[in-house]
Amino acid sequence: MKKIIAMLLAVMMLASLGTAAFAEDKVTVEVIAAQYGTKTADWWVGFEEKFEAANADIDLVVEVVSWNDINTVVDTRIANEQQPDLLNIDAYMKYYESDLLLPASDWCSEETYAKFYPAFLAESMDAEGTVWAVPDLASARALYVNTDILAEAKVEIPTTWAELRAACEAIKEACPDVYPWGVDMTTDEGQAAFAYYTWNNGGGFVNADREWALNSAENVEAMEFIMGLINDGLTNSDPANDTRYALQDLFAAGKLAMMIGPTQVEQYVADAGNKVNYESALIPANEGKANASMGVMDRIMCFAEEGRSEAELAAITKVVDAFYDDEPYAEWVLMENFIPATIPGGELCIEANPDMEKWVNLVAGAQFYPSIEGWDEVKFGVIDAQQQMLLGEDIQEVLDILQEEVAG
Amino acid sequence: MADNLTINWKKLLTRILLYFSVAVICVIILYPYFVMACTALKTRAEIFDPNGAILPASPIWSNFVDIWTLAPMGKYLLNSVIVAGGSTIIAMLCGIPAAYALARMKFKGQTVFLGFIIVSQMFAPVVLLIGIYKVIKFLGMTNTLLGLIFINAAFNQAFTVWLLRGTFMSISAEMEQAATIDGCNRVQAMLRILLPVAAPGIVTTLIFIFINAWNEFTVALCLISTDTIKPLTVGINIFNGYNIIEWQYLFASSIVAIIPVVILFMSIEKNLTSGLTAGGVKG
Amino acid sequence: MRKNKPRTLLDKTEPYLWILPSVILMAIFIIVPIGSVFQMAFSEVNKAGIIKGFAGFENFEKVLTSSKFALVLKNTAVWTVCVVVISTVLGFILALLLNNAFKGRKIARAIVVFPWATTLVIQASVWKFIINTDYGALNTLLKTFGIIEANINWIPTPAAYFAWEIACGIFVTIPFVCFTALSGLQSIDSSYYEAADIDGATYWQKLFKITIPLVKPSLTVATVLNIIYVFNSFPIIWTITKGDPASRTDTIVTYLYKLAFLNSKQGQAAAVSVIGFLILLACASVYMVSTLKKGDE
Repeated sequence: MKKIIAMLLAVMMLASLGTAAFAEDKVTVEVIAAQYGTKTADWWVGFEEKFEAANADIDLVVEVVSWNDINTVVDTRIANEQQPDLLNIDAYMKYYESDLLLPASDWCSEETYAKFYPAFLAESMDAEGTVWAVPDLASARALYVNTDILAEAKVEIPTTWAELRAACEAIKEACPDVYPWGVDMTTDEGQAAFAYYTWNNGGGFVNADREWALNSAENVEAMEFIMGLINDGLTNSDPANDTRYALQDLFAAGKLAMMIGPTQVEQYVADAGNKVNYESALIPANEGKANASMGVMDRIMCFAEEGRSEAELAAITKVVDAFYDDEPYAEWVLMENFIPATIPGGELCIEANPDMEKWVNLVAGAQFYPSIEGWDEVKFGVIDAQQQMLLGEDIQEVLDILQEEVAG
Repeated sequence: MADNLTINWKKLLTRILLYFSVAVICVIILYPYFVMACTALKTRAEIFDPNGAILPASPIWSNFVDIWTLAPMGKYLLNSVIVAGGSTIIAMLCGIPAAYALARMKFKGQTVFLGFIIVSQMFAPVVLLIGIYKVIKFLGMTNTLLGLIFINAAFNQAFTVWLLRGTFMSISAEMEQAATIDGCNRVQAMLRILLPVAAPGIVTTLIFIFINAWNEFTVALCLISTDTIKPLTVGINIFNGYNIIEWQYLFASSIVAIIPVVILFMSIEKNLTSGLTAGGVKG
Repeated sequence: MRKNKPRTLLDKTEPYLWILPSVILMAIFIIVPIGSVFQMAFSEVNKAGIIKGFAGFENFEKVLTSSKFALVLKNTAVWTVCVVVISTVLGFILALLLNNAFKGRKIARAIVVFPWATTLVIQASVWKFIINTDYGALNTLLKTFGIIEANINWIPTPAAYFAWEIACGIFVTIPFVCFTALSGLQSIDSSYYEAADIDGATYWQKLFKITIPLVKPSLTVATVLNIIYVFNSFPIIWTITKGDPASRTDTIVTYLYKLAFLNSKQGQAAAVSVIGFLILLACASVYMVSTLKKGDE
């Protein structure tokens, strides 16, 4: 028994060593950051050290959470009023709708604020023009094609849907082992597929008045197009479960001829030993419709907290300023292989990597997911709707039901 | 003579059948681990090569080295040992007396208590996350291994109490009664007489709790925010990035994570089987 | 004996002191969280999961009228019944095998522990890897041995996916059943078998007349706990399909996880878990009424 008690005490002591100790005279800033890659966590550790060395009165606590789990972690904390000061995640609507955020002007210095591409800031703005989150980085989606496979099938890079279908059929004919077209309609990122096709048919999530318009004629036509490709066996075998990462791996292995993806496709190809030759191009659009490229943006937001002192708010501003300090910021964006969200950061990135220029330009003209109340529901609903279509449900009917659920 | 011969043939045949079926089952069970080990020794390119072979072309043993430098694996392992060990100890300290009372005493509410234990298991931890966090926050144990230890101990009470109750009930109370007459009190009788006899059952329970706590993921994910105090299950998520899932590292570290449990099991295997005996006897 | 002895206050309270630590531990760390699930189920909850007021049965109404819920309940029933029944049968057979004395038994037993000693998320990831159509290990294996020429799509339909998930669930549950059954087998007095041998009983007669009846009690508790754990199991389905496509492979737990953390409907998610709880309670009370009463006499 004594032994057990001794062991118990030892364990408790060890466990309490794990308690994060906070110095009382310091101002603490808590950050939850999304984990972009294997190096993200290390980068934040370095940032923390440098920042604390320069600001002895601030205790910066950064927690890096994987994308798989970040919603779970953040929601659990928020439900218990333990929200972080700063959060780095993709969408901010859920928190905005719950009145949890502070406007950017409260915690982002004018100097830093002036650095952002104005078009990016506009994506986090409410109807009154207040900005509620600032972009930390972006990515743009482009068409990636395996040029060897296209040459074998004797087709050009498609620019329209008709050309895309013809190319897929030619590829299937010439290289039966290869999937012509990659589609991801998974819970991971199925909303992107919806955007790729509806935006390139003049449709989308919302109408001109920024109201949900999920069952528009354009959307139905777009979905009919892509479901046609899938049902004719011109795509990967399992769009409901093949995530974009699975597609990127297939593309890098030369097993997939064409897909829509971000710059990271290039990293995948390089990791796989550069076995495939590829080019990127604009996402194909329906005949007579303008090509729409898609941008995805992640953001940093600041949670309101009762009784937060001036000093604490000032400390948050300092953390944000340090994060967007041009050189380290550009290094970070390059390391994570994304597109910068600030003008000076963009310049530095292009300087370091001239390839970046086309991406910076692409994302500048891109469409983003709408930041409108109910986005979480719509995103979830759109993915589910597409999966129902994959199971053979009627496209118009499914979209009508979804629209009614969202608008009604 | 002829009869004996058929019997021997029959015996030999059952023997062969036994070895054969055990071998087949072991192969099936080991197959996922074989895949895991092969993947852990491949490069990323090889893993996703549609024309790839089963075995790695040239095993990348450095994958097993890299995981220690890419992530604080040593710390993760230590944290897992602390959590699993601590949970086991607390679950036992609370569970043994309860099981003893249920097996050796009669009191009102016995049935209610046994039912209460079962009912407590009916919500998945993932459902209770927000509430668990609330309690842990109230106790000031957020971001500590201690909080995790208590949660795991609590979620394993049902196992512990039911298993030990069965074990204790299967052991005759006579020896303890004799000891009581000799002047031992109940606690002494339990500690000196019952527990040594019940050792197999106790060891069985230990490994049940240890494995469950060792593998727990969801609660640890939400409770622990500092990287250096994450248990292994949560920590190795570092290989599960937004851009790329590093399968070779994920699997390499998972293999490392199995080893301590298997060693623990091997070392107490002979107790495990006879211990479980009592498990549900009177259930 | 007890009736003859006058009981002091201490005697009466003593048992409760013994169970107190266990009760406190569970009350604080499980019952309080369960309470907050109930609170949330009857509350209006905003998108960030903060309670905004009393909602009565509104969350339950929304859940029960959802077109998905019946499907999810059916999946949960199929999942639980298949995994528990098949793993119990296979685990028991495996236990019969491992109960024989043979060379290498210790190693065989250690191997059986493997699936149990692996985190479910990783276990499920490996399975996902094995059954993948394009680079999966199963296709590679069969191609290597010349059994198949081209890759086979092992998961052409949602039902096929669900079947694989059930297989994975069975795989990880077998060790638990196996060791419980094994212990029961070892406790059987060999004299029963000797007597049966004298009577000229066949192997099957012995199995059904002696072995199964005597192992049954030790399997009963294990099975009840098993039903609860399998019913509430999350990582396998979440890792392999996330309940996709369109909830065809969702069980109650994956469905409510999506509601809570991807769809920001914490109130409805809590309502789903309360409904799940009531279902389990109904099933378990049948067992508890029949078995616990007996134990109490």
